[in-house]
Amino acid sequence: MTATDSPGSARDLVTGRSWRATGGYLAGRCVEYGVVLALALVINFVLPRALPGGPLQTLGGGGESVGLLSPEDQKRVLAEYGLDRSTSEQFLTYLSNLARLDLGNSFADGQPVVDVISRALPWTLLLVGSSILLGFGIGVLLGAFGALRRQRGKGNILLGTALLFDSMPAFWLGMLLIAFFGVFLGVLPTFGVGDGFDDPAALPRHLLLPVLTLTLTGLGQFFLYTRYSMLSVLSSDHIEHGRARGIPRRRLTIRHALRPALLPVHTLLMIEIGFLVGGAVVVETVFAYPGLGRVTFEAIRAKDFPLMQGTFLVLTVTVVAMNAVADATYALIDPRVRTGTAP
Amino acid sequence: MSYLSLLRPLPSVLIATTLLLASLTGCGGDRESSSAERPGPKRAEELTIAVATDEGTLTPYTQNTGYPGSNLVALIYDKLLELDEKNQPQPLLAQSMRAAPDNKTFTLTLRDGVTWHDGEPFGPDDVVFSVDYYKKHTVADSAPQLQDVKDVTVDGNRVVFTLGSADPEFPSRLLADMRILPEHVWSTIDKPENATAEQAIGTGPYKLVSYKKDQGYELQANPDYAMGTPKLDKIRVSIIPEQQTALAALRTGEVDTWSRTVPEEQAKGLERQRGIKIVRGPGFASTLLAFNNARKPFDNPEVRRAIAQAIDVDKIIETVLRGRAERGNPGFWHPDAPGADPALGHVYDVAGAKEALDAAGATPGGDGIQVLDGKPLNFTLLVYSVSPERIRVAELIRDMLKQVGIGVTVNSLDADSVDAKVWPGYDVTKGRDYDMAMWGWSAPVMLDTTMLPAVVDSDTTLGRLNITGTKDPQLDQLADRLRAATTLEERHTLLGDMQRRLAEIVPFVTLYYPDGAYAYRQDVFDGWVYQDGAGILNKMSYVDLRR
Repeated sequence: MTATDSPGSARDLVTGRSWRATGGYLAGRCVEYGVVLALALVINFVLPRALPGGPLQTLGGGGESVGLLSPEDQKRVLAEYGLDRSTSEQFLTYLSNLARLDLGNSFADGQPVVDVISRALPWTLLLVGSSILLGFGIGVLLGAFGALRRQRGKGNILLGTALLFDSMPAFWLGMLLIAFFGVFLGVLPTFGVGDGFDDPAALPRHLLLPVLTLTLTGLGQFFLYTRYSMLSVLSSDHIEHGRARGIPRRRLTIRHALRPALLPVHTLLMIEIGFLVGGAVVVETVFAYPGLGRVTFEAIRAKDFPLMQGTFLVLTVTVVAMNAVADATYALIDPRVRTGTAP
Repeated sequence: MSYLSLLRPLPSVLIATTLLLASLTGCGGDRESSSAERPGPKRAEELTIAVATDEGTLTPYTQNTGYPGSNLVALIYDKLLELDEKNQPQPLLAQSMRAAPDNKTFTLTLRDGVTWHDGEPFGPDDVVFSVDYYKKHTVADSAPQLQDVKDVTVDGNRVVFTLGSADPEFPSRLLADMRILPEHVWSTIDKPENATAEQAIGTGPYKLVSYKKDQGYELQANPDYAMGTPKLDKIRVSIIPEQQTALAALRTGEVDTWSRTVPEEQAKGLERQRGIKIVRGPGFASTLLAFNNARKPFDNPEVRRAIAQAIDVDKIIETVLRGRAERGNPGFWHPDAPGADPALGHVYDVAGAKEALDAAGATPGGDGIQVLDGKPLNFTLLVYSVSPERIRVAELIRDMLKQVGIGVTVNSLDADSVDAKVWPGYDVTKGRDYDMAMWGWSAPVMLDTTMLPAVVDSDTTLGRLNITGTKDPQLDQLADRLRAATTLEERHTLLGDMQRRLAEIVPFVTLYYPDGAYAYRQDVFDGWVYQDGAGILNKMSYVDLRR
């Protein structure tokens, strides 16, 4: 769902040629996003309940304890959390609570889901945000470089290394980094965030390995996108034309080649940011990092319905929001969208 | 473009990888590989324990797991009695206990001068309140067993429990299990499952100072602890979900022990590192091969016995567990647990197994699989996909049973899917849908003789853990008598009878009990006490208890 689907409307939006058309476009888009969000909300409710098992193990004390409860006691436990009611009743409660922005309390420890999420969210934004920015920056630079040097050894080494990191499981790379920097060299902590925001000076040391892991495994796709896109631009007519006109090489590369080559990378960046909040489950688990990915992981493991619904909701809203941002900003970046000449 | 050029960085990457893996497994990083057995300090200023999951706000109602959740809650809350290394109840909040000869009335004299962490005095009213509270709010693992407490009365500094029926195990099962709650805090808590960390106030040896969800806890020694002297000034608990990360942190000294048993393949590398020690002892958690006794041909004891005989348990222990497990007692009870019949032993006899199958009427089929009642003996064996150990055991069992003409397909599923087939809704009245399954019960089951009836009684209101659908009138009768027995000796006698009957009819095969192997930084703290079947995370490890 990007603006390229409807370049004419985007043009109207930017040039302001027709307010009525713009209003219609915005309304149409809002309806689209509304439908996606509504569907996602339904799925967020259904998914946790579709998993085998259910939350009785968590609620009933775990292990044998839950089995030793009589069937009546088991029912009483479920009733205490409203799980004895029909699915449709539960769904209505879920919707009405959602409308009041009440996400309920976690089954596992009774804490409000909003508190749990808002405590974890800054950590994930810090980790994944910095990794995406680093991956994007380094990936684009190296990608452009790799495209310019495509026939030479350096470019091929870059491509090989990027492919290697891109195909490396984050879990495995994280373990290797822990083993090398944490255990073998003993220079970096192996887990956690120390005293967290209470001791900001120690934070960079704790962040280094998880950020490095996510950056290394993430920059490959930025590299590959940029390189491929840059290669196709470099072989296009307007570059040939520019070269013939004697435009300086640096200017030609950056302004005439890299800029248009970044369009697909921009889309990728938006997708990545969209998945930012839920995208680090594995790395957060390996490094015992207190972010939202871990909360999601633990919630799924414990069949903690309210917490699962809450984390899924944050994930859904971010993805939809970032799609909207991508839609809105595409017109600003691509002049063809503005002038209505986009393919 | 030459694709070979892509491979150029490969050698250096491989070397680096090997180097890193070597350091992880302990051949490169630990230059000092002495295993000096010099004892370490018995007291320490600070100790960090790594656990795998968050345990909520550390109250009896908000812990997430039995182990190590209860063990952490025990730092903050005390019980009236406490189990010792051999699982015998000893005084704690109660300084003495007197049981009436009929084991129906228990009189406990409480210790004087005990205060709650907030300075309020502890008294008998708190005990009465706790019993009432647990009875009212049943969502806690120590709650279900209180139904039989008919009355709790206060007589000065004494509390008298009166039971509806005689229960010689009441002290170890209930009094050494029920965490006493402060009335002045909990009387205002309507939803105990929402209790906060600020409300985690006990009489225990450590006070909860801070809790950061998914990160950890900080506890400070309680200087006014009346029942002993805390050995540590401060205990930190770090939550590290990933096993490899936790073990790496143990190597670097960021944590000083890990709550889980160290897998045997990791143990050697850890032990080579100076400062790290592994303490081993019996583990009471069991690993079983469960049969669905309600499904043909597992309703036939001959067939079950034949399968049991075809399994070489010693080989399983040697190859999969590297010898670090106790061989299963066919009567289920761990040989070191109170009441076990040590004379019972597993019989491995392939020829005998074949004969037994023949005697049951099995005939050779076309593809080497025996046929019984017109059906080939092909079965599915369910196993948790998260347990590499059990998957390997299941595969060995498959190979062993093939020798006697039984075909087994190992089906590894996520734990919830296996549970949904073996123990739907965690309620045995809902039946079961499986042939065979790798199963196990946790360690506390071995500390309560009435748990054996719970595992095998065919009356589903009593046999709440009878996931195999065991149905044997003789066992049921023994189970009834065991529950009604008024003395511990009588219960142990009947427990022995039940074990012998189990060995005869084999409703499931008790394969082994993995040993506990706990790694810790001996150079930081060496005051750990191993409690049989339960490991080192217990009150005796953290406190010099006054007895």
